Amino acid sequence: MSRAVGIDLGTSNSVVAVIDKDGVPRILTTAEGGTTMPSLVWFSPDGPVVGELARAGLDYSPDLTIFGAKRLLGRRFDHPEIRRLARILPFELIEAPNGDTWISLSAGRSISPEEVCALILREIRRMAEAYFGEPVTRAVITIPAWYDAAQRQATKDAAQIAGLTVLRLLSEPTAASLGHGAHRGADRKYLVCDLGGGTFDVAAVDVEAGIFEVLATTGDAFLGGDDIDRIVVDNLVRDVRSGRGFDITNDTVAVERLRLAAQFTKHELSDVSVSKIYLPELVQLPSGRPLEYDKPLNRSELEQWADPLIRRIEAPIREALRRCGRKRGDIEEVLLVGGMTRMPAVQREIARVTGREPEVIPNPEEVVAVGAALEVARLEGTIEGVLLIDVAARGLAVSIGGDCEQVIAQSSVVPTREHRVFATRHDDQLRLEFDVWEGESPDPSQNRHLGRYAVLDLPPAAAGDVLVLVEMTIDTDGTVRFGASELVSGERLQLEQLFHAGLARTDVLRLQRQLEHAS
Amino acid sequence: MASARTLHVRCTTWEQVEVFHTRKLRRGKLLSMKVPFRCDPGAEVTLNLELPNQVVIVIAGVVQKSSSVEVDPTLAKPDAGKTWLEVELVGFTDDVVARIRKMAAGEVAPPAAEPPPMPAPASRPSRPSYPPGELRVASAVARAAEAQVDGLPDDERAVFQYLTAELRRLRTLAVHEVLDVPRDADTDAIRRGWMDLVRRHHPDLVARRNAPAITHLAEELTILANRAYDRLRVAMVAEGRATAVGPVLAPPPGWLVGFDDISSTGSIVRSKIAQTLQNGGNAPQVEAIAPQVTQIHGGEAFELRARAMLGDGDADNAQEVLAAALCVYPRSRPLRSLYYVASAISALSKGERMLATSQLETALAHHEQCTEAAAILELMRRTNVAVIADEMRRLFR
Repeated sequence: MSRAVGIDLGTSNSVVAVIDKDGVPRILTTAEGGTTMPSLVWFSPDGPVVGELARAGLDYSPDLTIFGAKRLLGRRFDHPEIRRLARILPFELIEAPNGDTWISLSAGRSISPEEVCALILREIRRMAEAYFGEPVTRAVITIPAWYDAAQRQATKDAAQIAGLTVLRLLSEPTAASLGHGAHRGADRKYLVCDLGGGTFDVAAVDVEAGIFEVLATTGDAFLGGDDIDRIVVDNLVRDVRSGRGFDITNDTVAVERLRLAAQFTKHELSDVSVSKIYLPELVQLPSGRPLEYDKPLNRSELEQWADPLIRRIEAPIREALRRCGRKRGDIEEVLLVGGMTRMPAVQREIARVTGREPEVIPNPEEVVAVGAALEVARLEGTIEGVLLIDVAARGLAVSIGGDCEQVIAQSSVVPTREHRVFATRHDDQLRLEFDVWEGESPDPSQNRHLGRYAVLDLPPAAAGDVLVLVEMTIDTDGTVRFGASELVSGERLQLEQLFHAGLARTDVLRLQRQLEHAS
Repeated sequence: MASARTLHVRCTTWEQVEVFHTRKLRRGKLLSMKVPFRCDPGAEVTLNLELPNQVVIVIAGVVQKSSSVEVDPTLAKPDAGKTWLEVELVGFTDDVVARIRKMAAGEVAPPAAEPPPMPAPASRPSRPSYPPGELRVASAVARAAEAQVDGLPDDERAVFQYLTAELRRLRTLAVHEVLDVPRDADTDAIRRGWMDLVRRHHPDLVARRNAPAITHLAEELTILANRAYDRLRVAMVAEGRATAVGPVLAPPPGWLVGFDDISSTGSIVRSKIAQTLQNGGNAPQVEAIAPQVTQIHGGEAFELRARAMLGDGDADNAQEVLAAALCVYPRSRPLRSLYYVASAISALSKGERMLATSQLETALAHHEQCTEAAAILELMRRTNVAVIADEMRRLFR
């Protein structure tokens, strides 16, 4: 059988890990020698460039260099956060015909976030194949625990386009606690706080006799290191304007340079208290001379700027505790995951909210990928006695023209299945349609529309005589499956997807073939 | 107690044997019967099951419950049936069932001198194992039962059969019985019961076999366990016996329909059968669908349909409708009892009076308020079959 890898597909950085022959998890390194690969794709004139090399694109053509595509995966274009992102991202977002968010490239070309993620995953696949020297076709991919069904499906589609079969979509907090070695230790009640490049996730994870149970997950989908970078850049741009009388707000190249410098300084300030931002050539002055930018920055100033963002850490943690009926004192260990948790101010804030000194992992960026690799080993039977139990992140509802009616409750343990029985209302009715929503509100506009389905080829009969049983299954990955049958005869009925979020099956297959040909 | 009591059950046809172990025994092991002696819970009893081929199978059992029955002095035989016993037939293993089936199939097994091999332990590893049932007269061929100790056998076929049987067994049980806990179990017991099940059946455990059929069965079993756990933990919170069991779950309306065994909390929402949906929706970006369906809650629609069919004397089809309904609402008492009534009527039409009686009694055992079953039993006692067909039809109109 071909090889399988564990992938942490991050908003800003991706990590890939495998289990070595001696059973030890190993992080694969990129061609440039890094353990993490920037989740960057630059659509250069010579074709897409992925990873470290794509950083050049940030300088050269920021509008064609896509970062944070994971945030756009499976999102509706009219989602308020997408509207906010559309204003601040250097590349242009457009609305796909089915309401999804796509990215507009130059010359009228547009691309789905799935394809961008597929390019990143293909690069990861190449890395792993170079390491093993044999084909890699299967992967465990980690996702935020709060991902809804559309986002999960989009991740699976991205993997399929990249030629990877998803063994399991593993929630990041579970992966983190697995990577931390919780399956080997004593029974614990963990609170996993994952502050990465783009998202902040909180999860209460119980480990009891080898069973990992995610009790509650919350998070802030738009809080992460990138946002702190952006605040720093905003402040620096203001500083350039007031100090040098130069407005570089619309100079994407200069802003991008500032962003990189700010990111570097931010990392430094986690270890030292004073640093500075130095750019020998920020912009070219009209005279042709370069404008040199040199600004000392200390930790407290950075923390002051980031403070409004760091304050947003508190609400998701409280919400997570509320959802699983816990008090602060019930937590037995706080795990910090994600590069941003290296920032002392973040650690302080989490300690304040949870009332417990957090556990600092030596490799907060890589622990999720290690967990994914361990999951591969678990599914292949190398690790025994460990079970990961997940709950449905969102409820599932159906509607027939009117209000949404809840079918599967939020926090149901997955896999689970519920059904609804519909009776026809007209004589010889041939088909019946229903909408599927994700969310808890009876108001459809508050929920995420997953799709509209039609049950076809109903047997001709008087009104009310045909009973259709529609079954909805959320599987272990958290993706949703549908099935319909005629109740009395038990015969399977054909279901047609009239509208759906995400890419169509045929598109996924077409893109997969395209990508295979390209490489 | 000086010596173990012995109970006798005599079956004159193979059909009765089949009915005995598939219908009469609850959960395949629990036998309830009235006996003319007193017996304490925990006492050992033996059951002599006499088969139509004069073979007597001796099955070990332990009394689980014992309650004395009020003796009606007006009855002719006041000493008959003093105690209502619930006996767990621990010796009635799958192995024994397999042998009985074999005999029923006409395969006469040679008597074996040595006792049969130790059969599989009870389905839960946490339970103590009991001595296996022994066959006194004719013991079946010593075909070694697959070792199922604490896991699944390696043979894929055996796993498939085992999981299928387990799924069929669990599907008929009440939620707390699925988790193998008492109805009033505490939080820890429910969690343990659920974890035990998940630990045995989670699809991840069989993922490495790469056999879709087995993974599918494992998933179905896990779904069953998860649903039972979800319902039970919600019921616990609703009954005020716990603040939260696992992640807080807000059950949607209609969630407990079909789960009669935990609806005592009053949280059940029984909607009208024909809940007509309003025209014109306000779905965003999606044009509204014209109202073309009626949503059904609970099993009432099936019940009405089946009753109409029974009223027309179409018992076979009614039985089919009810069987379908039971797939969806396996725990609905009215549906289950009606199923047995339909089956009894269909048996009567074929002249199988004995089977019909046992089916009607089963119907009453499942649902005491099944007036039709009682009425038909009464009719059978008074008149012959041919006459009552019309009266039966009238019952359902």
